[in-house]
Amino acid sequence: MICAGIDAGSRTLKIVLVNANHAGLVASGVVDQGIDQDRLALNLLERLLHEQGLQRGDVRTVVATGYGRKLVRAADTTVTEITCQARGVRHCVPDARTIVDIGGQDSKLVRLKEDGAVADFVMNDRCAAGTGRFLEMLAAQLGTPFFELESLVGRSRVPAVISSMCVVFAESEIIGLLAAGVLPEDIVTGVQTAVATRIAAMTGRKLAEPILFTGGVALVPGMGDALAAVLERPVRIAPQPQLTCALGAALLAAERFA
Amino acid sequence: MRETARRIALDEWDRRYAVLRAGGLCEPAYGGPLRRHVADGNSRLLKLCMDNSAAALRLWNFLLSEEERLRQARQHGKQLVGTMKDLGTVPVMAYSLNDTVAFYADGAWWLPCLMENRTGMLELADQLGIDDSFCPVRAMLGAFVSKAHFPLPDLVTCSVGATCDDLAVISQRLASLGFDIFWWEMPHRRPPDPGEPAVILPGGFAAPQSQVDLVRTELERVRQALESLTGQTLSDARLAEGIGRANRVRLVLADLRDLAYKARRCPLPALEMLIAEMLAIHFCSDQAEAVLVLEELRAEVQTRVQAGEGPLEESAVRVFWVNPVADLRVMNLLEDAGGRICGTEYLFCHALDPIPEDLPPMEALARIALADPMVGSPIDRAARIAADVQRFGAEAVVISRIPGASHCALEGRLIGEIVGRQCHIAVLEVEVPPISDALEPALRTRLEALVETVRIGRETSRRGYPPSAFRKTDVGSRPILEGGLPP
Repeated sequence: MICAGIDAGSRTLKIVLVNANHAGLVASGVVDQGIDQDRLALNLLERLLHEQGLQRGDVRTVVATGYGRKLVRAADTTVTEITCQARGVRHCVPDARTIVDIGGQDSKLVRLKEDGAVADFVMNDRCAAGTGRFLEMLAAQLGTPFFELESLVGRSRVPAVISSMCVVFAESEIIGLLAAGVLPEDIVTGVQTAVATRIAAMTGRKLAEPILFTGGVALVPGMGDALAAVLERPVRIAPQPQLTCALGAALLAAERFA
Repeated sequence: MRETARRIALDEWDRRYAVLRAGGLCEPAYGGPLRRHVADGNSRLLKLCMDNSAAALRLWNFLLSEEERLRQARQHGKQLVGTMKDLGTVPVMAYSLNDTVAFYADGAWWLPCLMENRTGMLELADQLGIDDSFCPVRAMLGAFVSKAHFPLPDLVTCSVGATCDDLAVISQRLASLGFDIFWWEMPHRRPPDPGEPAVILPGGFAAPQSQVDLVRTELERVRQALESLTGQTLSDARLAEGIGRANRVRLVLADLRDLAYKARRCPLPALEMLIAEMLAIHFCSDQAEAVLVLEELRAEVQTRVQAGEGPLEESAVRVFWVNPVADLRVMNLLEDAGGRICGTEYLFCHALDPIPEDLPPMEALARIALADPMVGSPIDRAARIAADVQRFGAEAVVISRIPGASHCALEGRLIGEIVGRQCHIAVLEVEVPPISDALEPALRTRLEALVETVRIGRETSRRGYPPSAFRKTDVGSRPILEGGLPP
């Protein structure tokens, strides 16, 4: 029996298919978000099924999560990304006690109980400074594709200090730094620290370890280190951090709704 | 005429009103269909779900006819007292006098929400240098200047000091425009030093007697100002009677809260409970009518509790709510997400406590004023919230911040930490602007996640072990991601 988790995030849409009989992975996929996310979800789902020689009828339950979860008509039910993220993380790293999730347009901190259930959570989606949007703006200013920022990470010798906690003002600051001849790698490191600082300000409370880093921004080299430095604690990056939420949705579909 | 308890939108209220009228509903003079308030500019009603009882209809009509009531009072030669940053003390004094009506001028902070930012009051405040870095209570400034929402009071009182920084600034701006304000001072409540003479305030906190004396002296000045305004003597005997009348409101409200928040099934939606609680501060400009409105509401709730009836599912998650919301719609949103209100602390819980009747009246009023949660440490607030969370059996806490409000800016995190630690329940902090439509998906996600968190916890308690989704045993299957995923 196949169950699907669809994570309709703000920047990308992710699907994970699991075999509910043994909770094993069947397939996964990621596409960029668009206007018609219902269609995007359906197309990706059908592609993944086709690649596995499966049909829509083989899918028992679909759980949608993420910002656009209510717009995915293929879903049998919806569960918030907080619960799904906790479930996905529970499967991958059972002893995790804190999740820091940074996505394209929001960030969250989820505290977990010993049994992996959510204790409580904090979310930020009103300020771009603690999200992937900050890094996207940086990439645009540097004229570098987003995932090529990694080529600059690790080369910094004198990280720039980004004073503004607002992305709009920080953009002006970055333009000023570039004009002053500050090296792009120093600016990248400075921005990563600024993003991490915003997360630390949001959490504000002592974080239980292990801390697991999830979300698309966790794929950016250097971000985990920046976060660990600001939080003054080790931070582990989840395996396939972009997919843990969709995985959680698929597992919940298999366990609770099938 | 009774119908099963439900939350209904305005369209359905039109039909319901016709049915109630056909069934012989008797209404007070301010009664009528709710739709007429939309014509008056309260367009937010179109997006709210309201309780379907006749008692709720009366409550809404009472609330939304206050401006009309104030204008009539002025026409009848009554003295109007605008009480600013006063959550429940000066109105008790004013209503002890004949032909005197007190109202809560800062209550204008809800007009931008009710009128969906079409009042122009915030723009007026902007022009006067009070921008959106301040609490939406700045709408009050616009209301005074435009004279569009309430008649200008004959006396304006305002407490300053430990009450609210935003309001102090906004009121000073108002004073600079030529509005005469009678200021009275409220000290920051502190715990008594060892050996210092102290009293226990209503609500349970201790304060030095010297602070009570200071507040009493300040209130004596207010008493003199009220006497000068009205030409009447506000004797202790008269004040004691006024306190008795105010306590009637508070006692009915206390009953209502106990019934509604302790009931197994929620008998009355959050929105109506919020409005009912607000009546404790200022009586919506008619103290006697406020009692009748609350009594009818209490009777409806009693009937529903006895019948095990309510507008929400019995399984709704029991949420304690801290701070009033700038957008009323969010109370609906909580219920849409599967929650119900089960205890509140809207920054004026001292106005819900009975005023001591066994003390000299001015001493009693000084003590109740000093019990204001806003004038003490957030740790005091947290202690009271934690006690009420346990009293009402809440399963989660929502702390709603008001954008720009200085007393909400940092208190929430501290309260959240203390309450979460003491009560072992999830605490969620959200920010609610006057119109939250653009943020609705984000707010909904937070509230739904809170409800899911509580429900998973319930399942764990019921079974004695976590639901399968969070049991360690289910991790035994092949790790999905550790081995990597296909590209």
